[in-house]
Amino acid sequence: MSQSSQSKQILYFSAAFGAGGLLSLMVLFNGTLAAYGSLFFASWVPHLTGTVAALLFLIILKPKRAEVKRPPLWVYLGGVSGAVTVMLTSATLNSALALSGTIALGLAGQMVFSLFADTRGLFGLRQRTPLRRDYMALALIIAGSLVLIFFGSGS
Amino acid sequence: MIWFASLAVLAGVLVSLSRQINGRLALSTSAMESSFWNHIVGLVFITGVALLVGGLFAGEPAAAPWWAYFGGPVGVIFIAAGSWLIARIGAAQTALLIIAGQMISGVVLDIIIGAPGQLWARTLGVALILAGMWVAHGGRAKG
Repeated sequence: MSQSSQSKQILYFSAAFGAGGLLSLMVLFNGTLAAYGSLFFASWVPHLTGTVAALLFLIILKPKRAEVKRPPLWVYLGGVSGAVTVMLTSATLNSALALSGTIALGLAGQMVFSLFADTRGLFGLRQRTPLRRDYMALALIIAGSLVLIFFGSGS
Repeated sequence: MIWFASLAVLAGVLVSLSRQINGRLALSTSAMESSFWNHIVGLVFITGVALLVGGLFAGEPAAAPWWAYFGGPVGVIFIAAGSWLIARIGAAQTALLIIAGQMISGVVLDIIIGAPGQLWARTLGVALILAGMWVAHGGRAKG
């Protein structure tokens, strides 16, 4: 593997790992809102402040558009799925699952569906066949997560 | 408990679904524009549901700590990152690495907010996750 693809690999890994940290913060912030206000409020606020923040980022960064051609309309519906997610995680955070349980169980649903999507090349994304190493990595990360769910919390 | 566990699993499926759709939008536009549409469409959807069901401002939302309102800007960067990554390393690799970061930071946050937990389990869990990341990286580096 060349030097540049090796450093790209490290960039992708770091970006994804950092994004995971951001997600934990979101679950904590939105879950805290849900503890004071309604579940709707806990999802409505981050979407409102997020829309304003994204608009500011677009104005400041002016990212180049990849295509002039308009994509199909369904690709704009990712936000509906995301909105329901915030409501669900805000509810489970305040249950006995707590933060680590909410995160750990979500990973099972996330991984099964992601592997399925990759092998089929769903939603216009590239088809990929996971390698044996990918499944080994998956097993280790799930094992670590199960340890955290069942033994990580003292209750 | 089973009910909340099912909701948590479903939330995971929806996270992946949302990331794939946003990733497809980013292929035609940009990661940040995809994140913008994700948030504004979600906002319209939640506002609609909240108007139908009512109770958006129920409870004492004004009593929430100020920092709890920062989920939005954090989410914008998170969604943009996911949309950018999924086209480059695939849905499974993106999800797996985000999960690794999420789990490890989740343990750190649990410790910070003082959630009860056992040190040996947290150490073993984090060690297994780091080992998984190392294996995932080795697999790609040789391939």
